[in-house]
Amino acid sequence: MNTGGQREAAVIEAIPSEAPSPSALQCRDISVQYGEVAALVGVSLAFAPKLIHAVVGQNGAGKTTFARVAAGLVKPVSGTLAIGGKEIPTGNVGLARAAGVELVHQNFALPPSFTVAEAMEFGAERGRPFFSRRGLEARWKKHLENLGVRAGLRDRIRDLPVEAQQGVEIARALVADAKVLILDEPTAVLSPSGIETLFERLKSLKASGVTIILILHKIREVLGIADTVTVLRGGRLVEGPVAARATNARRLSASIIGAQAEQEIAGDEAALVGATDEIKAAPVPAAVSQAAPVLAMERVFTRSDSEGPGLEEASLSIGRGEIVGVAGVEGNGQRTLVRVLANLVDAQSGRILLGGEDITKTPLSERRARGLRVIPFERNSEGLSLSSALWENWSARQLVLGSALKLINPARYRKACDASLKEWDVRYHTTAQPAGSLSGGNAQKLILAREIDADASLIIAAQPTRGLDVGATAFVWRALREARARGCAVLVISSDLDELFDISDRLIVMLSGRIVVEFRPPYRLGEVGAAMTGAH
Amino acid sequence: MTARLFAVGRAIAFVILALALCGVIFEFAGYSAPEMFQSIADGAFLNPGAWQGSLRWALPLFITATGVIISFRSGYFNVGAQGQFYIGAIGTTFVVDFMNGYPAALVIPLCFIAGIAGGAIWALWPGLLRVRSGADEVITTLMGNFIAGLILIYVTGGILKDPSGTGQVMASRPVAPAYRISSETGLSPTIVGAAIVVGVVMWILVNRSAFGVLAGLAGRNPIMIVWQGARMSRLGLAGFMLGGGLAGLAGAMEVLGPNGRLVSGFLPTLGFTAILIALVAGLSISGAAIVSLFFGGLASASLYLPVLAGLPAAAIDIINAAIALFITARAAPGLGWLAARRRAVGGA
Repeated sequence: MNTGGQREAAVIEAIPSEAPSPSALQCRDISVQYGEVAALVGVSLAFAPKLIHAVVGQNGAGKTTFARVAAGLVKPVSGTLAIGGKEIPTGNVGLARAAGVELVHQNFALPPSFTVAEAMEFGAERGRPFFSRRGLEARWKKHLENLGVRAGLRDRIRDLPVEAQQGVEIARALVADAKVLILDEPTAVLSPSGIETLFERLKSLKASGVTIILILHKIREVLGIADTVTVLRGGRLVEGPVAARATNARRLSASIIGAQAEQEIAGDEAALVGATDEIKAAPVPAAVSQAAPVLAMERVFTRSDSEGPGLEEASLSIGRGEIVGVAGVEGNGQRTLVRVLANLVDAQSGRILLGGEDITKTPLSERRARGLRVIPFERNSEGLSLSSALWENWSARQLVLGSALKLINPARYRKACDASLKEWDVRYHTTAQPAGSLSGGNAQKLILAREIDADASLIIAAQPTRGLDVGATAFVWRALREARARGCAVLVISSDLDELFDISDRLIVMLSGRIVVEFRPPYRLGEVGAAMTGAH
Repeated sequence: MTARLFAVGRAIAFVILALALCGVIFEFAGYSAPEMFQSIADGAFLNPGAWQGSLRWALPLFITATGVIISFRSGYFNVGAQGQFYIGAIGTTFVVDFMNGYPAALVIPLCFIAGIAGGAIWALWPGLLRVRSGADEVITTLMGNFIAGLILIYVTGGILKDPSGTGQVMASRPVAPAYRISSETGLSPTIVGAAIVVGVVMWILVNRSAFGVLAGLAGRNPIMIVWQGARMSRLGLAGFMLGGGLAGLAGAMEVLGPNGRLVSGFLPTLGFTAILIALVAGLSISGAAIVSLFFGGLASASLYLPVLAGLPAAAIDIINAAIALFITARAAPGLGWLAARRRAVGGA
């Protein structure tokens, strides 16, 4: 073995072929199914020891699932896992930990009411049956100091600042003789200076011989710290691990977002919809911009909360018959944008106008009465009540608008629902069946049938095609285009750039709660991708 | 429809299983299980006049159970029916005590209103705590039961105390005959009529009103209904207060009807049996009518047990508890609803 940089380069070079020393973590042909969703498909990867490896990809690409498989939390339907050259059974946390794999979760997992010392003790494998507070503190003081974690041993976990909490999480993971440390989105909760501290900590861990696997999505951070990069997309391995030096921001973002997918999907869609010309033509009449916008957001500011960062001075306007796409890596304020429009989070400052009238303080039912429609992010929790009947789900929008004491005839609603669902080509047995019995595509069509009606003036479609097959996806886009043709304003949030490029008359990019830039067609993948990751 | 029949059949199967278990236990305890079941059946339904006894207990149980159904359906696990029943009874007793001498046509409606208001108030504060600050209503309503029980002791031993009482039981002055709505039998046109009105109105509210559909959606998925623009806090509070009001109404009817006065610690299991009825009936109003008769029968039969099978009357409580155990253990559809509530969006 050589020393210094040469050795490092040699190891990296050796990854694609058989590595001379056993890989710190190797998996072969791992596939994971969540119900009908394939989270990972035949992923084979080998990580060389004593390096920092980054695993990147969009949300839903399978990064977290991969981390959980490696830590033994998820049992894959097929595939093998080997730690330090030794194969271990999959789906067994105890064995994975015994082999030296530790996972630091995206959402911290230490009990909030524990003190730091308690958390360290009981996170360790060998918690003793009896203990004294002083004994605990003495035992863990050194450990925390060595790792440079600044947290009082008597402080409660919940009282610690986020950075210190993460420090304790990492220290807890390193209590046992960890050989492979996996961190799931560790930078998501940190401030820029906190990220610097974290990276310093990781570098010194690497120097002490720990293999580190980082799940990340910001390209700048990846290039700043990682020795190798692995890209996942749609549960499949796209490339990697490749040496970080051998790649660059542009290549990575193309690989994460999937430049090649553009033609494939467009082709499929054209075949299914038969509307290729409509897709390519700029469909906006010039008159649009002169009329008062349907939606105007003026410098809207919201607080950040558990569901994501707040909006910072977000301004946006959408005119009649216009589709505006929102691109951005997930978790950059898209959820907050939709929630502030639905009055589920308060605007601290700024104004929101719907059809020229100020609705900043107006409740959602009133906004809906004025034509706002929302296709929410989470079809199965926010969009539908899965255990309720189809007709109940379908009727909710109208019933909310009227008085709760209004007497209704369910048979009439069932009939109307029946007619509407037939029109929207939903496949179902009876309107009394629970919404949970529908397939994903049909469930989404049920939501469309409810939310896209003649009185709609602004339709917000958040990830309307997530998890849908190509046919259902094409159906959704066609429905939104038809709504546009009727004069609706449409706001589409999607993590699939290819789709956004197809449908958007304008495209805005969100980064850290800000609307950073606006694009008009023709869109360039490189430019948009760079804006999304803040790599420009 | 078949699905609903299946659900009811399943519930009945679990009740039978619970009865069988009790039979085995009592058999081992040295009693005769066949004799026990025979005496329950006789006491509940077969003896001459048994039906009247069963109905006497079924009616207040049914009224309280419809209230429980309403609040469960809107996604709130209000287990405070017992306390709401007590506070309703106390409210009624105050009115009947202090308005003694006024015409019955004035006093009786006011008593009903006071009972409903008392129960609703006793549901209001846990409801407010739930929707405003997210305090778990299971805890608050359960604690409310104890507080209400203590208030009952306080008022029957103090401000409402019957001065001519023997001191063995703490109770209020007997309700003047003019204000009684039934004799000790607990059956009169007023009481039966009130139960029918409650049943019909609640059935319409659940099955034929916007509230019924929205509350049903809210109970199963509060997040979805919030995204539709409904105000969970209003739906939830309405459900809470309706549930409390109905329990209070049952309290009013007990004081003016069969009890004829307010007695400290009276009917200590009524509210809990009503919850059981709501769950066995799968939160259906029409189902609750039938299930109430069954549990009313059990309550009525408890008087026969010591006589016929030599069993203590408390055996019925054991049977009720066993049924409760089995019904909760088979993830009742009612409890399935409440699992979603745990992820509720709070007061949004």
